[in-house]
Formats: sequence, structure tokens, C-alpha cells
Amino acid sequence: MLLIKFWRRGLSAVFALVMSMNAHGVTIGQPAPDFTLKNMQGQNLNLTEQRGNIIVINFWASWCGPCRKEMPVLQALEDKYKDLGVQVWGINVEQENQAGRDFLANLELSFSIFFDETNKLSATYQVEAMPTTVIVDRDGIVRYVYRGFKDGYGKKYAKAIKKLIRE
Amino acid sequence: MIKYSVKGTLLLALFSLTGCASLSIEPWVKPYERQNLADSIMSASRHPIANMHVAHVLDGREAARGAESTEGGGCGCN
Repeated sequence: MLLIKFWRRGLSAVFALVMSMNAHGVTIGQPAPDFTLKNMQGQNLNLTEQRGNIIVINFWASWCGPCRKEMPVLQALEDKYKDLGVQVWGINVEQENQAGRDFLANLELSFSIFFDETNKLSATYQVEAMPTTVIVDRDGIVRYVYRGFKDGYGKKYAKAIKKLIRE
Repeated sequence: MIKYSVKGTLLLALFSLTGCASLSIEPWVKPYERQNLADSIMSASRHPIANMHVAHVLDGREAARGAESTEGGGCGCN
């Protein structure tokens, strides 16, 4: 009987270990990993300092077609919900980001753009698809993770943001 | 009972080892590193025009080749 008990404990430990190995960097319901980056306007922004605001973190690159399509959608979201405490943070993941900067020059974006040249942040957030959009609520908890972008995702984002605003 | 749960756990461990990205083998191009794939060093040939010419010549000479993006109607005469 005792042996069985130990066995079970051992097995559940192995199970837990295996499960923890498969855990992702960004888990829905867990605090979003903190970071500080300088945005294109030259302002240092820290994620935990934004408690009270809803942050839409979007990982993008200029070589990624859906990301390029998504930028105006994100700008529209920022414009619409800015006054309600929503910020869009666009994180460029390119190691050499001149192409990204050129792309931005043709767009009039007002939301914060960051450059993650070292890809440390992308690794922390385990960006598994391009683009990846993470929505962090007012308490700094990851609430939504969207991988990829298709037409109609803007509506999905808006719905999620509206839900978080109402909380 | 124990036997089954041992088997189950081992199976689970195996799945986890083989199928999941968290234990993947490095180096692995992450989605955010795909810029590297577009680097010119990744292309097999650095001379696209010469490459197209060779493809065209081989297309005309070898029966086993063809349909490689060189133009032609499929008559075998190009």
C-alpha cells in the first residue's frame, strides 16, 4: 500500500515536471513578463508601470505581410480606445530594422513602436507566430494571446478590449 | 494499475520529448528570426540569370527535367 502511494507521488512528480517543461512564456491568466524599452519617440516605457491601462502588445516585422496589414488596424484601435486607457505597443522583432523604419515612414502611426533587436523580449514572450498579439489587462495579467492575423481579427481585438474595459 | 500509469507517464514523457517545441533542438529559426532566411547567403546560387540559363539548357537536354519555371508549352521542343 505504502509502495503504491510512493509510486503515485513519484509519477505525479514526473507528470508535473513534464507539464512544466511544456509551459509557455506567456500564459493566459499569468502576469505578463515585465520589460522596459525605449519607444521610437524616445521615451522609456516599462510594462509594470502601466498598471491600470490595458496594453495591446503586438510583435511585428516589415517582412511579415499580415503584420503590415495589421498596423492600420492597430492604429484604429489606439485612436478609438486611447481615452479609455488602452495603449498599443508595437514591438519590431527585426535584427536589422532599417526596413521596418522605412515601412513606418510611409504610415502615420501614433502608438508606441519599440525595437527588439536582440530578440530577448520575443524569446521571453515565446513568439510562436508572426504577428503575435498579447492583450494585458489593467492588473498586468495576460488575458488574450492571438497568433497570426487575418481579416476580421481587428473586430476580435476590439471585442476583447471592450470586455476588459468593462471590468 | 501502477503498470498502466507508468506506461502512461512514459508515453507522455515521450510525446513531450518528441513533439513539443519547448524541448526543441537548437539552432532552430524562431518565427521572429525569419529575416535570416531571406538573407542572400541562404540562396543556393547567387547568380539568378546564369542559374535560369543552366536550368533552361538542362530542360532542353534531359528528359527527366522540366517544369522548373522556365517557359515552354510542354511540347518538348524548347
